[in-house]
Amino acid sequence: MSSPLLDVWDAASASPYNPSVGKGVQFTLGFALLFTSLVLSTIFGLNRSFVTLSVLGIPASLAFGFGAVYMICAVGVYV
Amino acid sequence: MRSVSFVSSCLAALSSFAAAELNLSQPLLSRQVLPSTFKPPQVFKNANLVRTTNLDKAYARETINVIIENIDSKPQAEYYLPFDASLISKVGGFEVKDKKVPEKGNFKVEIVEYDTESSTEFYLIHLPTPLAPKEQQTLSITYSILTSLFPVPASIGQSDKQYVQYTFSAYTPSAYNTEKQKTKIKFPNSDIPDYTSIPADLNADNKADPQKQGSTFTYGPYNDIPAGAEQSVSVRFEFTKPLTHASLLERDLEVSHWGGNLASEERYWLANKGASLKNHFSRVEWQKTSYLSPPTSALKALNLPLHPGALNPYFTDDIGNVSTSRFRPGKKEALLELKPRYPIFGGWKYSFRVGWDANLSTYLRKLQGDSYILKVPFLEGPRIAEGIEYARVNLRVILPEGATNVKYSTSVPIIASTTTLHKTFMDTVGRTTLSLSAINVVDDLRDRQLIVTYDYPWTAGFRKPIVITLGVFAVFAVVYVVGSLDTSIGKKKTA
Repeated sequence: MSSPLLDVWDAASASPYNPSVGKGVQFTLGFALLFTSLVLSTIFGLNRSFVTLSVLGIPASLAFGFGAVYMICAVGVYV
Repeated sequence: MRSVSFVSSCLAALSSFAAAELNLSQPLLSRQVLPSTFKPPQVFKNANLVRTTNLDKAYARETINVIIENIDSKPQAEYYLPFDASLISKVGGFEVKDKKVPEKGNFKVEIVEYDTESSTEFYLIHLPTPLAPKEQQTLSITYSILTSLFPVPASIGQSDKQYVQYTFSAYTPSAYNTEKQKTKIKFPNSDIPDYTSIPADLNADNKADPQKQGSTFTYGPYNDIPAGAEQSVSVRFEFTKPLTHASLLERDLEVSHWGGNLASEERYWLANKGASLKNHFSRVEWQKTSYLSPPTSALKALNLPLHPGALNPYFTDDIGNVSTSRFRPGKKEALLELKPRYPIFGGWKYSFRVGWDANLSTYLRKLQGDSYILKVPFLEGPRIAEGIEYARVNLRVILPEGATNVKYSTSVPIIASTTTLHKTFMDTVGRTTLSLSAINVVDDLRDRQLIVTYDYPWTAGFRKPIVITLGVFAVFAVVYVVGSLDTSIGKKKTA
């Protein structure tokens, strides 16, 4: 039995969805990003100024944001 | 039944607020209520009708092949099939096809009922093309009747054989005159100690019914049976297998674009509707016979054939992890073998949850733009020879946060659908969730698919990391501001 959506599914057979980061590297990437964030935060903690807030704080927050998402996926809570 | 229609109409009204999406498969929400004077117009006759009742499984499966003929002067497209009100609430998987061209798909069907205390309700079958006068068409009507087998005797010993009773009408209930009909009943074995006999003068061939051939009984043929005629008949046969009944199955499918994962979880509330134990459960007797594995009315194990590529299965119940399970990943299927904590005898219950992961690439495809299409099984669940029936299935498809324009299509008859938000880890607004409900589902519908399409802009995907990023950056800013405050007491020292 065919339905309109089934035809759409069959037509899209050439484009299965693959995430940009596969399951195998989620932990490595998440750990690396979180570690980078930790290092940058530590340096910022030692030398707090308006310049270090933007130079270290922004990359540290970005690394923590993406690192947290990959790490929670790596431990099995797929968000 | 009326309260069901009331609840479903409330759900429909609510869902129009939650989501005004177009849904391609039409749920059986609409229920026509007819005036008390209603009788199906006598525009058809059944030229020949053969009903086959299959009692192999824990529920009865009926197939009615009927040649219908239009005896009216105008083309007709509405064929009614009557059921008793107590029976129609147990009918599931009702499907009608043209026997000669089954590839054309199922006909549209709906439930109609009287506006009185009448005990008769109807399934209304819409023929896709009206049948011209004096024309004939062959319909193939299939459905299952849940909780239709009752254990007689109602309690037995632990190792005894179980016998069940099935009651039905020897004349197939019909809203039209039936010229010729017969009913075949297929039993799982030939141990049939009791059955109702019908005198030979009612039979068209003057044979006493039923006519027996091994494990098959035939009632009929009967000629010229008027509309609405019934002849109650009971059969009692051996069925030393569990009558597995799930009062509720909740099934969640969670799509994760970040993790590339489809997480499935199923929560079961099972009961064995078989004969209860006459005495106390004897562990010694159970253990003595378990190595011979004789047929038993208890449910010992459940095998869940998962799709190949299933990962990280778990099996827990109210107490915690159940260690008596095995997982056998394979190329054709990944078999999850579950053993409940105790054998489930008649009248006993067991509720548990199972879950597993799978790679999303098998189930999700990208369409043009920001649209995606998801194809998942509507029902997975155990595959056991004696079958399993579900009184209600609640399926939730949890899409990523920010998915919009959800459409779906499935061939399983569903009674309600809503689109809501579901909040869980790392969510700010909540994930778009498509909830579907179906009642009276049997395991024959295992292979049915559910197809969902949705739009998911790439900007919505960055919501999670950006929210965390902003939160952490706010902490940095607070640390900087607080750290640069001068909280010392006394005069400021100059250099």
